[in-house]
Amino acid sequence: MTTPPSSVPLPKHELYEAPDERGITVNGWRITSTTRPISNGPQSDALQADLGLTLPEMIFGNNRLTIEHQATGWKYSFTARDALAAVKNGELEDGDGGVKVGYADAWLKSRQSNSALMPQTVQAKPYDWTYTTTYPGHIDPDSTFTPTWESVEGTTHELPLAELTRPDPILFYAEIPLFEDELHDNGSSALLIRIRIMPTCIFILARFTLRVDNVLFRNFDTRIYHSFASNPPMIIRESNGFEAPYEVLKARLPKQQDLTPLTDPNFVSRCLTETRKYSQTEGAHTGWRGLGTRRDCATLAP
Amino acid sequence: MGSDLDRQIEMLKACKPLPEADVKTLCMKAREILIEEGNVQCIDAPVTICGDIHGQFWDMLELFKTAGDCPQTSYLFMGDFVDRGYFSVETFLLLLAMKVRWPDRVCLIRGNHESRQITQVYGFYDECTRKYGSPTVWRYCTDVFDYLSLGAIIDGRVFCVHGGLSPALPSLDMIRGLERRVEVPHEGPMCDLLWSDPDEINGWGLSPRGAGFLFGAEPTKAFLHNNSLDLISRAHQLAMEGYKLMFERMIVTVWSAPNYCYRCGNVAAVLELDEHLGQEYKVFEHAPMDVRSIPARRPPAEYFL
Ligand SMILES: [Mn+2]
Repeated sequence: MTTPPSSVPLPKHELYEAPDERGITVNGWRITSTTRPISNGPQSDALQADLGLTLPEMIFGNNRLTIEHQATGWKYSFTARDALAAVKNGELEDGDGGVKVGYADAWLKSRQSNSALMPQTVQAKPYDWTYTTTYPGHIDPDSTFTPTWESVEGTTHELPLAELTRPDPILFYAEIPLFEDELHDNGSSALLIRIRIMPTCIFILARFTLRVDNVLFRNFDTRIYHSFASNPPMIIRESNGFEAPYEVLKARLPKQQDLTPLTDPNFVSRCLTETRKYSQTEGAHTGWRGLGTRRDCATLAP
Repeated sequence: MGSDLDRQIEMLKACKPLPEADVKTLCMKAREILIEEGNVQCIDAPVTICGDIHGQFWDMLELFKTAGDCPQTSYLFMGDFVDRGYFSVETFLLLLAMKVRWPDRVCLIRGNHESRQITQVYGFYDECTRKYGSPTVWRYCTDVFDYLSLGAIIDGRVFCVHGGLSPALPSLDMIRGLERRVEVPHEGPMCDLLWSDPDEINGWGLSPRGAGFLFGAEPTKAFLHNNSLDLISRAHQLAMEGYKLMFERMIVTVWSAPNYCYRCGNVAAVLELDEHLGQEYKVFEHAPMDVRSIPARRPPAEYFL
């Protein structure tokens, strides 16, 4: 026997499971997670036409996470469509944090030095090919309640780490990928949603992870926390943006020859968090507006 | 010939990695064969054309079940044998052993993942050092990569390449004239063949990433016309239905990694060309997800923060 039994009483809850949908009802909340294969050809063509954006290679257009507060009818969701709608479409501007691949300058120079190699080219439609998104989830169209988010500073309504690190039994856990793209083998861009329902709270992490080989790493994390004990019911939403030059994380590898930890979002996130003094201020000097921390609260009461 | 080889092929088909000494011999024999081949290999129909495999060994066995055993079926693989999947070593060595055993029934062309730089990031290097305790096998394999052809042409009518066209290479003869025995460069015509993509644009486009070409219907049509071709067959991009025809069937993307990265849920396909170059796309699904197909992963980080 290693861990003592948890002293936290379990709330009454009901789990359900369908082939590609799972959920839980607990303490007046209904949580549903849907995970299906990536969108098929016609589905992604339709989405592409709708958003006017060249889509990521893997798009989980049928996946979703929805949490619903039954007393107010507040419904909040995470979907690939809405996450991608927040990606910059068009010429990149200040604050968008636009980057080129590591060898772009060399590539262009080699083309220009030899006009035979440089045909007349049309400008492919500009968009943020890194799919950087600061999407924090969205209020569902059929939500019957719209809370007011208020920004809070300092230690007000900080996420309760002690509670979140306590090994209470997990009532429900789900992992919902929304999109992934390997940037044409120049790195990787991915958005993954995770949720765990604990005896005392709801906790969600939406993590965007970007690696551009030999250029930079970027993270945007949105955490949503609700304590079942809060009265009136309160939602805390905290977001953190990080960036670091590629070399900075490479220098932190356990073995310099083996670059594979750089493809592990957990390793990347750990390094970025450990260097947050720089990674949340200077970042990789792209001027990306997502850097830093921001915390909002909303009360679920009419 | 071949009793050793036949034994090795049987071992590899059971997903057992070869001893390091055998890998060395196999890679040397493969190099002797590949060095004689042109940049653009000439192949006769009927042939079965396959796209990216990416180390999904058990799914490749599903491919063989779908399209038939070698040497009865003649195969052309359009690159990206390694990286991302858990069995790049066994996948590449099996294909290589088949190539050495039946050189005229197997054609392997180079993908952008058959490169030292890319495999250090996307898994093959890591897998070799994990399975053999040193990067020696990775070195043998990446040396073979430099000898792989850049393309193939079937009965003079169908051009096969991993990525696509290059504006610097309007004719097949110009592709034949390239010096291919190098690490895949980051720029230049050889890079284009392995990296470029077709796109719904007019003429040539620059990728918004800052490097790499996109090509539209016109350059595709011009290339077919100038080289008396009917079709370009390429891989390199995930096609959810296993294949995707574009530009009024002038070009097709073939994708042969079902349930890509063990989580996409997509189907895969091969393109069978009969002796009259008639096209049949055979779609197949991934191998059952049992313990042998995917090694145990760390338990999910359920207590994420
Ligand atoms: Mn490729």
